[in-house]
Amino acid sequence: MTPLLEARGVTKVYGGGLFQRDRTVALDNLSLRIEAAPPTIIAVVGESGSGKTTLARLLLGLTVPTSGAILYQGTDLRRLSRREWRRFRRDVQAIFQDPYEVYNPFYKVDHVLLTPLKKFGLVHSDREARERIVEALEAVGLRPDETLGRYPHQLSGGQRQRVMVARALLIRPRLIIADEPVSMVDASLRATILESLRALTRDFGVSLVYITHDLITAYQISDNVVVLYRGAVAEAGHVEPVVQEPQHPYTRLLIGSIPLPDPERVWSEEQEPSEIGRLADAAQGCRFANRCPYAMEMCLGTSPPLYQTEQYRVVACYLYRENPVLVSEHLDDAFAPPSTVGPAVAAGGAVDEPLSGE
Amino acid sequence: MNDVSPRLGQPRAAEITRQDEEAGVMLQVRDLRVSYLTSRGAVQAVNGVSFTLRRGEALGLVGESGSGKSTIALALMRLIKPPGVIEGGQVFLDGRDILALPDEEMRRLRLAEIALITQGAMNSLNPVMRIRDQIIDAWREHGEVVERGEAEERVRDLLRWVGLRPEVARMYPHELSGGMKQRAVIAIAISLRPKVIIADEPTSALDVVVQRQIMQTLRRIQRDLGAAVILIGHDMGLMAQFVDRLGVMYAGKLVEVSPIREIFREPLHPYGELLIASLPSLARKAEFQGIPGLPPSLLDPPPGCPFHPRCPHVMERCRVEVPVLELKRPHRWVACHLYQVEEGSA
Repeated sequence: MTPLLEARGVTKVYGGGLFQRDRTVALDNLSLRIEAAPPTIIAVVGESGSGKTTLARLLLGLTVPTSGAILYQGTDLRRLSRREWRRFRRDVQAIFQDPYEVYNPFYKVDHVLLTPLKKFGLVHSDREARERIVEALEAVGLRPDETLGRYPHQLSGGQRQRVMVARALLIRPRLIIADEPVSMVDASLRATILESLRALTRDFGVSLVYITHDLITAYQISDNVVVLYRGAVAEAGHVEPVVQEPQHPYTRLLIGSIPLPDPERVWSEEQEPSEIGRLADAAQGCRFANRCPYAMEMCLGTSPPLYQTEQYRVVACYLYRENPVLVSEHLDDAFAPPSTVGPAVAAGGAVDEPLSGE
Repeated sequence: MNDVSPRLGQPRAAEITRQDEEAGVMLQVRDLRVSYLTSRGAVQAVNGVSFTLRRGEALGLVGESGSGKSTIALALMRLIKPPGVIEGGQVFLDGRDILALPDEEMRRLRLAEIALITQGAMNSLNPVMRIRDQIIDAWREHGEVVERGEAEERVRDLLRWVGLRPEVARMYPHELSGGMKQRAVIAIAISLRPKVIIADEPTSALDVVVQRQIMQTLRRIQRDLGAAVILIGHDMGLMAQFVDRLGVMYAGKLVEVSPIREIFREPLHPYGELLIASLPSLARKAEFQGIPGLPPSLLDPPPGCPFHPRCPHVMERCRVEVPVLELKRPHRWVACHLYQVEEGSA
């Protein structure tokens, strides 16, 4: 089956030209297929400079890959007809970090909800539009009477972000790409927003790519996770083993650095890079070698391929070189099937009864 | 140091703090009130906050945006600007009420005795000045005239102390990464060996790996200096890792102050309880539980307990009577009508 969206060997290089020095490989040769059915949640985790936002922008067609391609239902985004592009814009929705930038401050909140309904011809009357909007707002825990008729600045950050989720709900896309959707909101609201995103997958069959720096929420929400480090995949696969028993030294560092909300489990000290690691040149070999406590001679040569250490896990690290190399290069070949209980109807269809998760 | 509390017109606050007085108190905040005067009325951003900070202790202040935690930081530095105004209270720093000091004296106290590190501080470094000169400038402003050769050496030592290479002295802020800039900010903050360091979201703009490095550096420095630290933020994980005691802010008030282990094991105030229950962890996968409702408007706060409209344990009394922060269990201060003052606690 043709996947809904596919990244095929995408590389994005910024800068460059005459001076090699200014060249930044934001994302290096990533291949990933995202299916719409059954609905799945993929988390992409990384720090600043990991390439996670570049990946989001590539998947949304907001930036063009330097090499490789993004394919929507098998067609390169650059070759979509105007009609196909419109369908892509409906099927694949974005939720960004600061929703304030999405709003036009001169229009009431109603505008961002009404516009897509009309643009995509999803309603036939104003009354129907109103009903759909009320329904969507309530689904994300907003009171319509306290939300509609207001200007964006009159809502809190958390409310604005939930309006964005409600908007996604109205459009009924098949996939949502959410780039740091909760990093600007308080902890208590974060939970509410993430729960409404998860409900989109569970109750309405929408797949989700959740892009974040926060491994804890990634662990909570996703079926599979991709850990990026400086533009390349460090480790990927089923979220349970990746988070509970990380293999790549970078994933271990990342998880060890999380300030756990548990005073009994105290932070460990960061390990120093190995003698060889200290000699590493960031320009070649493993990108993590210069910080890696286990770096060996071979890590300084060519960058490691993805070794499949388990059915549902790949690791780009020579420590695991006795394992087979992932043949297809499609990361999702090492993904576990989604555990989320999806609805029996196809995405876009009506769901009578929300199924309970887990 | 035992004689820091003159008899005041507020017997309640005096009672609250009495038992802590012997234990090497470095900072004592009593009934602090800060308002912002807006066209729609006065906003009580900090509404009668009292706490103490012991020598060498790390106290966390956690709360949602708008809970007043950052305003406390500015008030303790006396950096509240109009339309904000400190309406009342005392802040005793090592026995001296700094809210009563003349401006010039307060200016000299800042940095020398009490220093503030903020999230935005790394962007407030002067972009056209070398790090070395910014440090020396800070000294000069506080009347420390250091001769050139000695200054170089002291700057180098200082940078080494915060984990920066000596070369950084000659660099400009734009040549440094976010983490290095924040280390430079810490270097300036500690350069005069303050007794109290207030860190307001010092790492919230940084990645987790760098965050851990910075926080571990801050802890090492705190121990070297024997300074007391107030860590302000919203990340409960960071609090769990860093502080000895945690104060939970809600709508301009402290609703609980407890030792960190105990508050995580058994939060007493219902808001703290919901806050801790809402935290996702790596230990278990569960549905995300938010706290229902929204924080109250500070322009028009609800009568009684500010949390009562969202509280699952609300009683009739909570709607009318404001609960006072009291010692309800040993070492545990709670502002909630659910708890009686236990025998032997007070």
